[in-house]
Amino acid sequence: MSVKPWEFRQWPVVILVIFVLFCVSPVRAGAIKVNYRLKWLFNTSVAGDILAVDQGYFKTAGLDVTVKEGSPEKNAINELELGYADFGVASADQVIRALDKGADVVVLAQLFQVNPMQWIYRADRPEIKVLGDLKGRHIGITFGGNDETIMRTLLALAGLGEKDVRLSGVRFDFTPFLKKKVDVWPVYKNSQGVILADQLSREGEAVYFFNPSQFGVNFVANSIVTSGKLMKTHPERVKIFLKSLLSAWEAAMDPVNAAQVLAAVKKKDSQTPDDIQQKQLAATRQLIKPDKGIRIGVFDVGAWKQTETILLNEHQIKGPVGIASRLIAQERL
Amino acid sequence: MLFRRIYQFLIVYCLCLVGLLGIKQVLGLSDYVIPGVTLIHSTFGRVSGGYFLDVLNTLSVTIFGQIISIAMAFTVGILGRKSSWAGSFIKVMAYNIQAYPIVALAPIIFILLGDGFISRLLIASMICYFPLLLSVLGVMAVPVKDIEHFYIATGRMRWQLEVKIRAFENLSKLTTVIAGSATLAMAGTIVAEFIAANAGIGYSIRIALYQSDLAGILTALFYIGIIISVYQGMLETLGELVKTKWSAPKGGELL
Repeated sequence: MSVKPWEFRQWPVVILVIFVLFCVSPVRAGAIKVNYRLKWLFNTSVAGDILAVDQGYFKTAGLDVTVKEGSPEKNAINELELGYADFGVASADQVIRALDKGADVVVLAQLFQVNPMQWIYRADRPEIKVLGDLKGRHIGITFGGNDETIMRTLLALAGLGEKDVRLSGVRFDFTPFLKKKVDVWPVYKNSQGVILADQLSREGEAVYFFNPSQFGVNFVANSIVTSGKLMKTHPERVKIFLKSLLSAWEAAMDPVNAAQVLAAVKKKDSQTPDDIQQKQLAATRQLIKPDKGIRIGVFDVGAWKQTETILLNEHQIKGPVGIASRLIAQERL
Repeated sequence: MLFRRIYQFLIVYCLCLVGLLGIKQVLGLSDYVIPGVTLIHSTFGRVSGGYFLDVLNTLSVTIFGQIISIAMAFTVGILGRKSSWAGSFIKVMAYNIQAYPIVALAPIIFILLGDGFISRLLIASMICYFPLLLSVLGVMAVPVKDIEHFYIATGRMRWQLEVKIRAFENLSKLTTVIAGSATLAMAGTIVAEFIAANAGIGYSIRIALYQSDLAGILTALFYIGIIISVYQGMLETLGELVKTKWSAPKGGELL
């Protein structure tokens, strides 16, 4: 004889069992829930973040971390303040602008030692060896983006005015560069740069990358941030999170683990071809750990200060924010 | 009507602003997340001139886009008003084209046509067109039996006459929909500018977003609201004039 759901009298027992199982499940037992907001979509340039979850670095440390993709609309610093995220990835200009407007944010580690924001151009044009070589070029910039700030700083250093170059607004569509309407195109060297270089090499064209840091402009890119409040109230949690994340990054950037890293990235980014992802990983390695002796996460304090000065000179912040005091070295945790 | 539109907008804008400032106070948020009064005021002073011109630029595309979408909607509505095979084919085709979200089509449009005036115009008219089409089809597909019967019975019915009868009998509905579609045309233009254009207020909002400048975005919203209120108010006034001029006077009769 079948029992109708509303005639079943053991519901309280079933609910109690489910509740008990929920409470004693491994994730619940002691695991601290943490939200971590990235700056951009899942791809090879966040290999360390992906590996940290995939290989259980966070779990081993007793953290239940949800890594969320970012976008221009999903700003990690906003989410820290609103309590939607505990940690996030933000670029130096975002951090400095936030501090300028009174946000309570601290920087825990600098992921990229070399800014991936560079410019690509065809090798059939003369190589840009000195900043003066920019004269007469048709340069793409994202108006309002940090590449605009970097390029304007470079032009100022070169003593070039707007009339000496041609600046055009760009977006994610590469068509104007591929059609040779724009000569020098801004890219993230380790993601879009790899794709474009590959695309052009198939057409028999070689490319150069114009790296601002080689010309003295060190504008800091992605870094790990958290709120000053979390830093004060849960310093241990911050320490554990950072330690496990940076361990994952060290492993991800070790060429020995390349196959494992690429497999983990593939789970999150299945669209990008394997050969491109391999090249992207190699390019990311050069930017995150340009030298074997460099420990991932260390601050280039001079570059941070320069970034602040650039924003100040460009009138993007009202006054100095003392960025150096907001950089929390791992030893201080 | 024009002034009513403007003060209604100002009331809504001020209420939203007060709400935002209230949230800021209650949650103790910094100016980075929600700007304070001082920052909003200084940003307003700094960007007002440029943003006002940007909104006018957007409005010019909006007006052209709306004219195109009205023409398209009436053309398809008139052609598709019959329950014949051709009529239903046109209707199905028009619906299917609209089934693709414009935001998904926009990148293709920008790749093919570039990021200039034409792309913005096309996207604005596409976003504005479908709701207009639905209304026009709703009006044009329903016969006004009392009047049309006379012309059919006397053998004087032509398609132009049929369209005129249905349009004039639903003048109020059509003018309301056309005035209302101004908002859609404006939204369409702003979406186009936000995605890929290199001019207009949508483009300025994108730049402000890159710089986490909510005060700039609030200023942009203020100007968008004011200008669209003025434009919509003017359209409504025009609609009233058309209705007064072309409708039969109450209690009277058409000669």
